[in-house]
Parts: sequence; structure tokens; C-alpha cells
Amino acid sequence: MAQVARSMEKLISADAKDIQPPAAASVVGVSKFFGKTSVLQNISFDVAEGEALVLLGASGSGKTTILRIIAGLEQPYTGKIMIHGKDVTELPARERGVGVIFQSYALFPKMTVEKNIGYGLRIRKRKRKEIKKTVEELLSLVQLEEHRKKYPSQLSGGQQQRVAIARTLAYDPEVLLFDEPFGALDAQTRTRLRREIRDLLKKVNVPAIFITHDQEEALELGDRIAVINVGNIEQIGTPAEVYNNPATEYVATFLGAANILEGVVRKDYVEFGGAKIAARIDSEKFTEGQPVKLIFRPEDVALSMTQELPSGHSCFAGAIVEETSFVGAYERLRLRLDPAGGNSCDTGDTPYYLTTETPESQTAKPIIATRPKPETMAVKLRRGDRVFIGLTSFTLLPKDLRPMAGTETSR
Amino acid sequence: MSSMIPTMRHVRGFDVARPLSIGMLVLMMLPLVFLPLASIFLFGTSQGLTSFMESLTAPEAVFALKLSMVTSFWATLFNVIFGLFAAYVLSRYNFWGRNALIVTISLPTAIPTAVAGFALLLLWGPYGTLGRFLAPHGIQTMFTAGAIILANIFVTFPLAFGVIKPVFDTMSRSLEEASATIGATRVQTFWHVTLPSLRGAIVSGALLTFARAVGEFGSTILVSGNLAGRTQTAPLYIFAKFNEGQIEAANAIAIVLALFSFLIFSVLFFARDWLDVD
Ligand SMILES: Nc1ncnc2c1ncn2[C@@H]1O[C@H](COP(=O)(O)OP(=O)(O)OP(=O)(O)O)[C@@H](O)[C@H]1O
Ligand SMILES: [Mg+2]
Repeated sequence: MAQVARSMEKLISADAKDIQPPAAASVVGVSKFFGKTSVLQNISFDVAEGEALVLLGASGSGKTTILRIIAGLEQPYTGKIMIHGKDVTELPARERGVGVIFQSYALFPKMTVEKNIGYGLRIRKRKRKEIKKTVEELLSLVQLEEHRKKYPSQLSGGQQQRVAIARTLAYDPEVLLFDEPFGALDAQTRTRLRREIRDLLKKVNVPAIFITHDQEEALELGDRIAVINVGNIEQIGTPAEVYNNPATEYVATFLGAANILEGVVRKDYVEFGGAKIAARIDSEKFTEGQPVKLIFRPEDVALSMTQELPSGHSCFAGAIVEETSFVGAYERLRLRLDPAGGNSCDTGDTPYYLTTETPESQTAKPIIATRPKPETMAVKLRRGDRVFIGLTSFTLLPKDLRPMAGTETSR
Repeated sequence: MSSMIPTMRHVRGFDVARPLSIGMLVLMMLPLVFLPLASIFLFGTSQGLTSFMESLTAPEAVFALKLSMVTSFWATLFNVIFGLFAAYVLSRYNFWGRNALIVTISLPTAIPTAVAGFALLLLWGPYGTLGRFLAPHGIQTMFTAGAIILANIFVTFPLAFGVIKPVFDTMSRSLEEASATIGATRVQTFWHVTLPSLRGAIVSGALLTFARAVGEFGSTILVSGNLAGRTQTAPLYIFAKFNEGQIEAANAIAIVLALFSFLIFSVLFFARDWLDVD
């Protein structure tokens, strides 16, 4: 019996292999200790061919450590690294064919731009002609033709970075690893280089892993984003998925601003004085009376002086405007749930509601909302105004249950 | 007009202590450094250039100068390579007893040179700890050019190491790591990446070691036997000629050694920028 089961398993896994080509690079169940402190806990993710994956996390979350383990500069405690389906965990850095763009670029100071770019080919003992040709192509690819004879110290940060990229592209790396590539640059240059690198990567079609703690950078650079929190991947998905459907509270707050309210799931329950929102709730994940967290973005809040909200908004609660401020492209409002205002939103006949558990404590928590300029012009709001709040979209997470389990998004 | 303002301020804020303290510094250095050096040149050339040249080209003098250069060269070569190796090991690996080793390497500078020479004699001399086993086989280490090299190595041991190690310590590890990820072996990385960054330190370390070795006296006189035309280095020659009352002969070599050290120091001083060019 057991034998049959095993051969069946084999069959199935062989099938799966046929269907899915191996990822460009995979991290499989990697954990890492420095001394007795655990820095990474059972990390797994894949990078597909031509994909740009961003590892996003706070300082000290273990991003650089993951990168160094992939590159072979650090050994994992458990788990393995696969590159194009080949287990490279035991291979030294120089045999992995990975391109690392270090945070400080790590250009060789005593070599010119040309020499830096040709280094990988020279140590591979390629023919001089071939090296010259490749260097020439790369110089034009990264637009550094006129700087070829300069030394790294004579280049700007952005130029140094391009040399660092060209230096790795010279030997056709299997995957590119960028450690905070824009950390040392000013905001304007960052944005420009980000686009440049993105275009460049699409052109050369090499899969890449970026490290950053800048959410804007992550959203713009990544085909997918992995959010890392103290050595764990909290969520991995496309920028839209991660932003719109955060799997955990950490993801919601780390990636963009988020309002978080605590509430309870109720059925056929109307409570005057407490805020409530209609939600299609997956009864497998949430039960009546279960404490939950309601997470929504400032831009998902719709405001109305009357109960009438634009279609597609779930009416949520009455609130009082506490403060308005103009922040460039939009207006930012601080609101507080109206303790006396009641909730007369028409909840229709949705079977489940979310109500705030303890109105007193929740009303103490401000809600941040933003409104686009045209709307600010049409309906002027001032401190003290009573409004109704509706939500375009929000996320429900079970309270105190971490991570991933039982997430539910409602629209 | 506006350019006048800083000048005016400078004049008004004239600091009297400045010229006074500079003057005092020069005055103090005059009898201590400048005058002794000057007198070598004044005295050496006082008998005319022909007698100076004669003293300089005397066979024993030429031999002494050559011997000094050759023995110093080998000692320098050894100590630079050793210093490079020691600096690499001691800054790249962390192990028990590392600091003790660093202190031990630096120890020879603190030992009086005569003691160093004496210690070598006690080890390698015909009746020494090791020497007594070699002597029956006809192997004589002391009182040869080899002994001079050994003594030079001992007294200049930490000089090159001391210059190279700090550069190693401050060198970013990521350069070597970058080289490894690009595909270089350790040897290739050392040769193409690490070594070029050490060029300045290696040259300064070598010059320092060489200058110090050429001038070595205390240990050399003990281990060499001071045999004219065989194991007599330039400083020993100066000492011997002075004892014999041949002041001009001693003086000619003294001038050569002084000029030589000037040369080394000007290279060290002026070539700093060139050596560290990025
Ligand atoms: N060589 C090491 N020895 C001991 N601890 C280390 C070492 N390298 C990293 N750590 C620790 O591991 C944790 C993760 O470090 P890592 O450099 O991966 O963080 P990071 O996410 O890259 O942070 P940052 O954004 O600040 O670069 C940190 O707590 C750090 O102190
Ligand atoms: Mg880091």
C-alpha cells in the first residue's frame, strides 16, 4: 500500500514539474541564526523568469541576510537555495552565477569603469576581443561611454550604480540581487533611477530581487512584493494585492497608511449608538461574536453630509470632522466617530454586520481620510461638521490571530 | 572690495603667539637636528671634492655600502611579504589569541637592538641553542651576510605589518565579496582587488623597512663580526673608520647614508598622493 502511495506521489510530483518550469531562483524553508538569535524563520519564495521581486521590510528584519544567503555569502541554518532548479546551497558564491549590486556598489576603486565592467570576463579568461565587445555593448546599454576611462571615485552615485549593474550583466547572471540600490541617493534621483533600472531589467530580461524599506519604491519596482517582518514573510503578492488586500495588520500599516478599528461580527444585529458596516462574511472563517479588526485606507473613505454615498460604498458611521489639512494633491481629514450621532445607515438585508465592539474606546480613535481636490472644491468641510462615512473597500482580519490565517476582504 | 574684508580681519586679529612659537620650534630644532646634519656635509667636503671621492670609492667603503643595500633588500622583501600575510590573517580571521599575536609581532621595535643581536647569537651562534647542532656539520650562520639579514629582519619585523594592517582593517569587505560573487577565486580576488588597494601601504612599508635596515647598527655589530670587506655594513664602516681616526673616510659614507635617507623620506612624503591615487 505504502509503495503504491509513494509511486503515486512520484507521479504527481513529476506531473507538476512538467507543467511548471523551475523558477529562476527559489528560497526553500530557509532559516538563519546569528549566535543564538534567530534572524530568519522558515522563509520560502520563488522568483519567476524575468520577474522583479521586492523584499520589503523594516530595518533589521533580515532582508540583507536573505540576499547574502542567496548569493552564497552566508550559509543558511536550514533550507536550501535553488537557481533554475539546481540546488546551489553547497556552492560557494563564485560558482552561483548570481549578480549582486551592493548597497555601496562595491566598485573596484583602482579599476576604471571599463576594467570594472570587464572584470567578470577577465577572470573567466575570455578572449580579449570578446571582452572588448561585451564591455562596449554594456557601456552603451548603461550610457556610460564617455566615462569609460574614469575611476569610480570620479563618478556620481547614479553612474556608479550603473557601472555596478553592467559589471554583473557582463557574465550573464542567473539572477540579480539589489541591496537597497537607492539608499544613498536623493529623492529625485531615486525616482529617476528606479524607472531607469526597471526599463533596463525589462530590456535584459534578467530576474531580479530588490531589497528596500521604502514602500513607494517597492510598489513601483516590484512585479511582486514580499513583506518581511522580523524574519518572517507576512505576505507575498502583486503590489495591488498587497496594498489592497493586506494579509496582516503589519502589512497594512507598513505599506501605506491604514485605519484600524476593532469590532465584533454580529448577525441581524442593530445597535444604536455603535458604528456598523454590512459585510459579506465568509462564515467558515468568521463566527458570530468573533472579535475582528477592520482595516481601511484613508483614500477608501468616502464622506457625505447626507446619508447618500456614491454607489459602491458601504455606509459605515457618522463622524465629526476634527481637523482638515491641505497636503498638496489632496485634502487630509481627521475624523472621530460620532458618539451620539447614532448610525442610521440603511444596512439593507445583509445577514452579517460588523459593529464596533466598545463604542467608547473606538470613538477615541481618530480616523484619517483623504479627499481628492475636485471633491474638496465641491463640498467644503470644516472642523466640527457632521458627516457620514462610507468605505469603498476594507479588509477584515481576525483579532489577535496572526499571520495569514482567516483573512477576508470585502468590497 | 569685499575681498578686503577677510584680509583686514586677519591683520586686525594678528596673533603674536604665531611667529614666536614657530621661531621657537625652529630654534629648538637647530642644535638638535639641523646643525648635526649640516656639519656632516660641511666637514665631509672641507678637504675638497677629490678627497671626498677618494674616500667614497675606497674598495672597503664600496663593499660596505653594497652589503648594506643587499642585506636590507632581502630583509625588506621578507618583511613586506610576511607583513602582508600577517595583516591578511589577523584582520580577516578572528581567533583565540589574535590580539596576543598582534602585540607579539610589534614587540621587536620595543627591544633594544643590542639585545636583539645578542639573542640571535645565543640561538644561532656556534654554542647557541640551535647553532651547536649546526656547527658540527660545518654550517655557520652567525658572522655572515645571512646573519646581518636575520638581524635586519628581526629589528624591522613589525614596520611593514604596522603600515599594511590598518589599510586591511578599513578596507571594505564588500569589495572582496563583490569579487567572489562575480566569480573570482580567492587568489584572483587577492591579486586583482585586495593587492591594488594595498599598493600605497606596501610601498611605504617597504621604504620604511629599508631605511631602518640600512641604518641598523646595534644588532649588526654583534651578529656580523664586523669583518672589513666581508661582513662590514656601512654604519659599521663609519664606526670602524672613526675609531681608526680616519674621519674623512667615515664622513664620506655618512653623507651617502644621510642623502639616502633624505631620498627615501622625500619619496614617502611627496609620493603619498601618487601612491594612494584612486
Ligand atoms: N554578521 C552578523 N552577526 C550577527 N548578527 C547579524 C549579522 N548580520 C546581521 N545580523 C543581525 O541580523 C538581523 C537582520 O539583519 P539584516 O542585515 O538582514 O537586516 P536588514 O533587513 O537588511 O536591515 P537594514 O534595512 O537595516 O539593512 C539584525 O538584527 C542584525 O543585527
Ligand atoms: Mg540591509
